[in-house]
Amino acid sequence: MNKVLQVNDLHVSFDTYAGEVQAVRGVSFELSEGEVLAIVGESGCGKSVTAQTIMKLNPMPPARIKGGEIDLVGKDIVKATEKEMMKIRGKDVSMIFQDPMTCLNPTMQVGKQLTEAIRHHQKLSAADAHTEALRLLSIVKIPNPEQRCKQYPHEFSGGMRQRVMIAMALSCAPKLLIADEPTTALDVTIQAQIMDLLEEIKDKTNTAIILITHDLGVVASMADRVAVMYAGKIVETGSAEDIFYRPNHPYTKALLRSLPTADMDRSIRLVSIPGTPPDLINPPLGCPFAARCIDCMKICQTEMPEFHTVAENHIAACWLLHEDCPKNPNGGVQ
Amino acid sequence: MAKNDVSNRATMGQKLIEMKDVCKYFKVSEGTLKAVDGVNLDIYKGETLGLVGESGCGKSTFGKTLMGIYSPTHGNIIYHGRVDMEITRKSLFEYSKMAQIIFQDPYSSLDPRMTVGNIIEEGMIIHKMYDKQRRQERVYELLELVGLNREHANRFAHEFSGGQRQRIGIARALAIEPEFIVCDEPISALDVSIQSQIINLLHDLQEKLSLTYLFIAHDLNIVKYISDRIAVMYLGHIVELASSEELYNNTLHPYSLALLSAVPIPDPDKEAQKDRKILIGDVPSPINTPKGCPFAGRCPIVTEICHQEKPMLEMKQGHMVSCHHVDK
Repeated sequence: MNKVLQVNDLHVSFDTYAGEVQAVRGVSFELSEGEVLAIVGESGCGKSVTAQTIMKLNPMPPARIKGGEIDLVGKDIVKATEKEMMKIRGKDVSMIFQDPMTCLNPTMQVGKQLTEAIRHHQKLSAADAHTEALRLLSIVKIPNPEQRCKQYPHEFSGGMRQRVMIAMALSCAPKLLIADEPTTALDVTIQAQIMDLLEEIKDKTNTAIILITHDLGVVASMADRVAVMYAGKIVETGSAEDIFYRPNHPYTKALLRSLPTADMDRSIRLVSIPGTPPDLINPPLGCPFAARCIDCMKICQTEMPEFHTVAENHIAACWLLHEDCPKNPNGGVQ
Repeated sequence: MAKNDVSNRATMGQKLIEMKDVCKYFKVSEGTLKAVDGVNLDIYKGETLGLVGESGCGKSTFGKTLMGIYSPTHGNIIYHGRVDMEITRKSLFEYSKMAQIIFQDPYSSLDPRMTVGNIIEEGMIIHKMYDKQRRQERVYELLELVGLNREHANRFAHEFSGGQRQRIGIARALAIEPEFIVCDEPISALDVSIQSQIINLLHDLQEKLSLTYLFIAHDLNIVKYISDRIAVMYLGHIVELASSEELYNNTLHPYSLALLSAVPIPDPDKEAQKDRKILIGDVPSPINTPKGCPFAGRCPIVTEICHQEKPMLEMKQGHMVSCHHVDK
């Protein structure tokens, strides 16, 4: 499989009046064609900043890439100028957002918005671009595309708007599609429709997808691989099966156990993670999860753990996995 | 309808609230918007009634009507056996002493210019409860009850995280010692690890203070976990009502089936095996609804009768369901 994206030790900071917010602190991952990578984590963990940096969408300043490399189909994103980015965005990588209403121009007909993107990257006549827009709308299963093209975003329902966004994102057959909480604003029955559509498009076009979400259900239904982020760092990466059935990082475990499953009733108490994520202006010296971790050791508070390989393609950053760590203290590290 | 109830816990208790044919219509320029259309429902003392449905189905309007924030267009809400049909200013005031609400958005539901102590105390002042000193003590007690510290009383809402703000909202609701609380999507704005904290807190408070909850949400896994009974709402109608076990194991209404199968399960194997029933189309507009079954336009098993006649919510196969195609 061809590699589409390679991110190496990415650091992104925001300069604010309160100080430097270290939103992303050394993130590395890669992605191949036709693969779906889910990045999960709580709000403020840096998952959206990571995605936006791949497209260089966050305004700089206040944002600043402090270090690291992003290689997108052979192009160096970190060094790319704004002019070069204009060519890359929409063509090599495109993005769909959480709230489709604020991402579409309310004063412009939907068809016009679609052809704008198409004509920016491809040399097509207005008529050809219009035909292309109709084709895209039918791919995302919008009924009566001819008529819908002439309508404005407010005449579309939430699910339909998200379909338009997907059509726009696909208009130049990007190698990589970033979906930032694509279904969070939608109802469950509409969410199921959109997830189905994304899956279908992936199978058809072999696009790599980065799916950013906090809904572990959505992750389970779509992702091939999962990266769990916490306080600006990836703490565990593995296949979806590894993460759901054989989690190794205490944060991943706690996250999975805090969800009620269908066969649970109130006699079983939900496991909750006490406390809140750390402040990223002064991130903790050691493991960011140490303050909330039930298995926290002395070293966790002073030194950041390295990644330990648990199985093939499954790594986790936790001192408990170190070879010198006594295994199963108190009858089992859970 | 009470005699048909299936939940043990609820049948043992007494009726706290009875709703008879409650409707809430809004006049809009295009016609009448029927947000809640003929709901018959009883809420029993000490139970948690879950209310699920998609956005725009009328579940929040229902909660607000129940709170007296909206007065019903017609129908009766009987509280403790007392008819509250015409809600007057005075009866509403008395009612608000017994019923309180926790809102979805902990950011917009707390006054940014009031200290947390004042926010919690306000209800007690309005209802002329206790003297000043005792009220102050109550504020501290409530803060500790919801897992905050008494030092937090002098701070402002913006100094707190989402989960902490929701705790403040809960303390405010509890301040005037209500027996019934409407929880209007109390956790959907929170992160997963914080959600379980709030759910556990609500559960503990219910045991400690013997509260009755109406729990409105769209996350079906959470609703199933917390509720004794669940009502499924679609376009202003209750389409199915059963104990939470029953609703999950013996789902009858085609809408409930689709809703349940649409919820992604956090388990890749189960997710791969699942036979997902994807509904076509969107929730129709509640303005000028057709006369038949509200779900007819999206239903996979629709027939002629569904477009002609509105099905009744009646007892079929062990619980309440409103569908022509479910056999008795």
